[in-house]
Amino acid sequence: MENSIVKLRGYKDGLHLIITPKVDLVEVETAINKLLEGMNQPLSGTSIHIDLTTSPLTSDDMKELETYLTENYDLVVSGVNILDENDESPILAAPATHSIAPNLQADDQPDFGQAKIVRQTIRSGQTTSCLTGSVLIYGDVNPGGEVVASGDIIVLGALRGNAHAGAHGKLSSVIIAMELVPLQLQIGTYVNRPPLGQKSRGYPEIARVGAEDVIIVEEFIKFN
Amino acid sequence: MGKVIVITSGKGGVGKTTSTANLGTALAMISKKVVIIDADVGLRNLDVVMGLESRVVYTSMDVIEKRCELEKALVKDRRVEDLFLLAASQRNRKDDIKPEQMLDICERLKEIYDFVLVDSPAGIEQGFHNAAAGAEEAIIITTPDVSAIRDADRIIGLLQNQDIEPINLILNRLSPTLVKKGNMISKNDVLDILNIDLLGIVPEDPGVIASTNRGVPLVHNDGSPGADAYMRIARRMIGQRVPIPEMRDDNFFSNILKWFSRNK
Ligand SMILES: Nc1ncnc2c1ncn2[C@@H]1O[C@H](COP(=O)(O)OP(=O)(O)OP(=O)(O)O)[C@@H](O)[C@H]1O
Ligand SMILES: [Mg+2]
Repeated sequence: MENSIVKLRGYKDGLHLIITPKVDLVEVETAINKLLEGMNQPLSGTSIHIDLTTSPLTSDDMKELETYLTENYDLVVSGVNILDENDESPILAAPATHSIAPNLQADDQPDFGQAKIVRQTIRSGQTTSCLTGSVLIYGDVNPGGEVVASGDIIVLGALRGNAHAGAHGKLSSVIIAMELVPLQLQIGTYVNRPPLGQKSRGYPEIARVGAEDVIIVEEFIKFN
Repeated sequence: MGKVIVITSGKGGVGKTTSTANLGTALAMISKKVVIIDADVGLRNLDVVMGLESRVVYTSMDVIEKRCELEKALVKDRRVEDLFLLAASQRNRKDDIKPEQMLDICERLKEIYDFVLVDSPAGIEQGFHNAAAGAEEAIIITTPDVSAIRDADRIIGLLQNQDIEPINLILNRLSPTLVKKGNMISKNDVLDILNIDLLGIVPEDPGVIASTNRGVPLVHNDGSPGADAYMRIARRMIGQRVPIPEMRDDNFFSNILKWFSRNK
């Protein structure tokens, strides 16, 4: 998903769209399109910062870019940081590990408190996402359905589709389901594909990132 | 005021047209006034399955484009009273019909008829949306295989977004022998995932193909397992409490027959 013109990064204050200097609006929009279309987690409704260094984009360009992001991707631009090339910007001057893989630094992220409660089954082709916290589902997540949360995902039913917790990199996020028989689990950047056709074990289970940096699944007894 | 019910599936070839023809006929056989609408524009075949192909003069497109009155476009069935077909145009494409036009036709028909059944095309594109446009209820047809169930699930989500309710399920082509051997997804597995009410189970029945080819819906053929299943479903549709027999073992068909004669 690396894209040299635009990058999407999660920081403490939310998502940042970082635009490389010296490209014109058309190139930027094409790159954004490629970046966002290639993502499997829709960002719909999310607010986003735009960071640019000295760039040929005019303020009219910026207005157009905002409209483009809103109309095509339902993103809310919450701020534009125009950074001087020599500026010690918090973003560009951040240590490499941080800017390349913010996911690995995850636990310094605040626990976003805005949970989302869904009172229906997420069916094939449907997606529900909460990029401000956890998702609680009173229902199932069927094969072909998808849940994305920046926090935890709790399914009070069968999780048979895809779930991505800690979508901004919070690796302490967990996925809990009454029946955990997913097609695919993701926590932060870690992916887990259980063997096909596995049956529910008949008790609630929890998936989390374990010591060996793999997603482990075990019986859910209680939060600790 | 009648009911408009769309019969749909997502996946193709799972038995929508077969079910529309048989349920329409079965409902008319139990004295309901019924219109079946072929909404599979461009690939019409409900008229063929009904054996009415040669009688189709006008189609829904002629009604929409005001070349003829709605009443005149309805083809009367030869075998049962009060059963009519509104055929689809073969020349037009699925997006030639607009949802509001479909809605208008359905609204007018339900003033007069007890049941308006709409045979939907496969897929989730415009043709499906047109078929569903006039419906307040839906019957989902699925076969017990993973891809049909996945598509059914997708369709249920779309219908729920349009406030179509209730959405009931017909599980078609279930083979009790295969389920018993563990080679087929069982009824309970399907219901677990789709989580909607089961209207009925239609077993795999070679009689279906024979009846399709003859243009005589199976329900005319008393005693075949498929025909009995469709008759029971029709009775449930008019509010009668008819239990769904469990498919337990290889003697399923004889069990059904026993059960049926006991309840006659
Ligand atoms: N219960 C059954 N037992 C055996 N054969 C069946 C059964 N139901 C349907 N079939 C056969 O399956 C084929 C497809 O059926 P049908 O045309 O009704 O499906 P459809 O969902 O309308 O297809 P399409 O999506 O192409 O419109 C036909 O050949 C039919 O005879
Ligand atoms: Mg058909």
